[in-house]
Amino acid sequence: MKVRMPENYERADIAGFILPVSLFTIWYVATQDGGVPAYLLPSPRDLILTALDFVTGSESLTPYAGTFSVHSLASVKRVLSGFCLAAAVGLPLGFLTGRIALAKTSLDPTVHLIRIVPGIGWLPLAMVWFGVGEKTTLFLISLAAFFPIYVNAAQGASSVSPMLVRAGRMLGANDLAIFTTVIFPAAIPSTVAGLRLGLGLSWAYLVLGELTGVTHGLGAVMMDARMLGNVEMILVSMIFIGILGRISDMILVGSFRKLNLLKRGFEE
Amino acid sequence: MKAANISATDISKSFSIPDENDLLHVLEDIHFEIREGEFVTILGPSGCGKSTFLNILAGFEEVDSGYAICCGEPITGPSPERAVVFQSPVLFPWLDVKDNIMYGLKQLGKKKDESETLSLEYLEAVGLEGFGNYYPVQLSGGMQQRVALARSLVLGPKVLLMDEPFAALDAQTRYNMQQLLLQLWENNQQTIVFITHDVEEALLLSDRVCIMSKRPGSIIEQIAVPFERPRPISLTGTSEFSMLKSHILSRLLT
Ligand SMILES: Nc1ncnc2c1ncn2[C@@H]1O[C@H](COP(=O)(O)OP(=O)(O)OP(=O)(O)O)[C@@H](O)[C@H]1O
Ligand SMILES: [Mg+2]
Repeated sequence: MKVRMPENYERADIAGFILPVSLFTIWYVATQDGGVPAYLLPSPRDLILTALDFVTGSESLTPYAGTFSVHSLASVKRVLSGFCLAAAVGLPLGFLTGRIALAKTSLDPTVHLIRIVPGIGWLPLAMVWFGVGEKTTLFLISLAAFFPIYVNAAQGASSVSPMLVRAGRMLGANDLAIFTTVIFPAAIPSTVAGLRLGLGLSWAYLVLGELTGVTHGLGAVMMDARMLGNVEMILVSMIFIGILGRISDMILVGSFRKLNLLKRGFEE
Repeated sequence: MKAANISATDISKSFSIPDENDLLHVLEDIHFEIREGEFVTILGPSGCGKSTFLNILAGFEEVDSGYAICCGEPITGPSPERAVVFQSPVLFPWLDVKDNIMYGLKQLGKKKDESETLSLEYLEAVGLEGFGNYYPVQLSGGMQQRVALARSLVLGPKVLLMDEPFAALDAQTRYNMQQLLLQLWENNQQTIVFITHDVEEALLLSDRVCIMSKRPGSIIEQIAVPFERPRPISLTGTSEFSMLKSHILSRLLT
């Protein structure tokens, strides 16, 4: 298995380039003179220039020149606080539900009932409760991220093989040690999957929250640029949200790997 | 130190049958005694309740009636004094081999360098030197079982409960593991309960053989093994050995 994996990856890499390269070519050709007008779809060159300008401010092409760090910092902060809040509540509750029957019977039905309402359905209520902007964004992010974190932690904790627990007990582990050295590591793969889903949703709901009106943030830039008819900036913000989301996911997975909690041997 | 003897009196155990409103009687009126330092093997047809009985001695399963006593105290739960080698290895998949072996020592609060030396010693004893950094998935089934053996032995338990520990091994490795077990037993005089399907293994290793009936299992015969130790492999060729072996086989087949 170990030998074949890299091969697969290589093959996947080449195949993976075909679609983006052809899309890029179509995009490039379509936005040449006489093609799609720039106010609908800017050319790749314009887009890259706008993105560079957004980050460095060297060209002053748009009103947003050089403001990338301010906006992205604001967005990252929101995602981070919303996500951490969701994890701080979702992980303990998830583990409790997964291991203790009483917690499951008393919590699980209610949580799943609330979960049925799509996160976006909370928007009007959140605006009534928290007004537009900061608090609403935070609320939406943590609410949306909570469910996958909770559900997956509970799933991971409840499906730990009872034989592993027996082995731990027989080797002298007390209740606390059983939790920290058996239940927790055994539940990690599922828990991390939940955290990743939650983080992805955090970014999605960040944009939703920021669209309601905050002064700084990539979502705010998108909304603002739409009003100015600056389609380049909308696309650039989308791309940066994608990049930041991907980076945050890599940091999340990487830190669990660092903690030796997602060891190779275990994942396979 | 309290004597590590075990006595089980009148033990019965049933399990509920899945999706049925009925009970499966697995063990019926088991009487079983084992002296401190005695090596007893249990033989019996598949499904007769051997593993269940061992789980009761280990403290994993509760009895329906009767009681089990170890070291003068009723068995109420698992303890590292009664180490178990399960029928399947049950290693911690997120720990490498060395950390698996060190797990119990860590729980006992042993110093790290001390337990590291000890675990390397036992890793070598089970013939896995150089595999300390492997993860369980990267080992063969027999190798995993030897890690499980080392993980239990390293704790120096007073009682060893072993459930067909060598069933997955080839003849050579199995012989080596048997010799290792005997050697450790001679040095430390643990009390050993050892389940096997291999009559020769039972006769070569143990002081006494207990034969269990079909389900519901009870002990139908106990045979003191008369052979002097050490018991060489050539013993299996003697007529006394084959007579005893065929007697046991005939009891198992009825
Ligand atoms: N947790 C359980 N729930 C229900 N039935 C069980 C459970 N554990 C064991 N049994 C039943 O008890 C019987 C005895 O099982 P046990 O594992 O003790 O057999 P065994 O003698 O060890 O067999 P083998 O030699 O094949 O390992 C089997 O019929 C099994 O289906
Ligand atoms: Mg069994």
